[in-house]
Amino acid sequence: MINMKEKNNSKGRTSVFVKLILNGVVTVVFASILALSYNSFSGRGISLKGNWSGKTLSDSLIVPYSYQEGDPQAISISEAMMEFQAPHTIFLDARSDFDYKQGHIKGALNLPFEEFDGFYPEVASKLPKDKTIIAYCDGTECELSLFLTRILREEGYQDLKIFFGGWAEWVEADLPIGKGEEP
Amino acid sequence: MWKGFKKIINNRYTILVFRLILGGIFIYASLDKIAYPEQFAKIVYNYKILPHSLINIFAIILPWIELLCGIFVIIGIFVESSSAILSMFLVVFIIALSVNFLRGLDINCGCFSTDPKGKEEGAILLIRDFILVAIGLQIFVNSLKKIAPDK
Repeated sequence: MINMKEKNNSKGRTSVFVKLILNGVVTVVFASILALSYNSFSGRGISLKGNWSGKTLSDSLIVPYSYQEGDPQAISISEAMMEFQAPHTIFLDARSDFDYKQGHIKGALNLPFEEFDGFYPEVASKLPKDKTIIAYCDGTECELSLFLTRILREEGYQDLKIFFGGWAEWVEADLPIGKGEEP
Repeated sequence: MWKGFKKIINNRYTILVFRLILGGIFIYASLDKIAYPEQFAKIVYNYKILPHSLINIFAIILPWIELLCGIFVIIGIFVESSSAILSMFLVVFIIALSVNFLRGLDINCGCFSTDPKGKEEGAILLIRDFILVAIGLQIFVNSLKKIAPDK
């Protein structure tokens, strides 16, 4: 008797579970159909697959999608090379210290965006506010340099630029690099 | 004390109020996202969690699931699965918000508005989401009792 009851109960539980999943799937499918139809008929519809890898500014300068008006000036590799030779410029590597030690733009200081609070007190002493600071990270899709300059601006730095081509373009162009902890 | 609390949260009128709150909030939250899919996609992008190829399709479909489940929870169709879906969403939102909080990204949550200036305090958002999860789960458990076989 008891066995029968248990059996019925477990059967019941299975059917509840199946019903639950089925109703959920029906809802999601129905919502998807509505969503896709609305998206194709409404004036504000967007393409199903967007281009989120970057946007092109003037003269084929590619910046991450999150780069906005009012953010520090983005510079190309040729401008970065000119800045590299200027005496008032400091390059700032926003990547992790591990990446930095593997290789970085010669003379660059390391201020990892993701460990800003830990690194900043020490780096700040080598980073006068009247210098031009060029932040960079991996390459076009990397936003660490952008986020870093946004914080630095709050810290009172004003002459900030971002070299979005970053480490990838620098290496590709065979420009001077440093390795290990030495800038 | 505990018995009294249980009695209150299992009261049918309390459940009805819960359903109105959860459903209402999700319906309200979906409308702006449905109206401005491009802005919402940007917010999804800013969370930096989904691969780029999935951002748009997610931004198109998610608000409609919110809307439909919100309506279902209120009018009493598929209450158990809809409240389960909404609770799951809330858990995912909590995880996404926490991840970005830990990463130190200062982003617009995109909860109710796609306006980039509509920033809300992270801690308040998390508390609100936790309360809503509790409400969602209570609706879910209560509605399951109705479709479950007799004990």
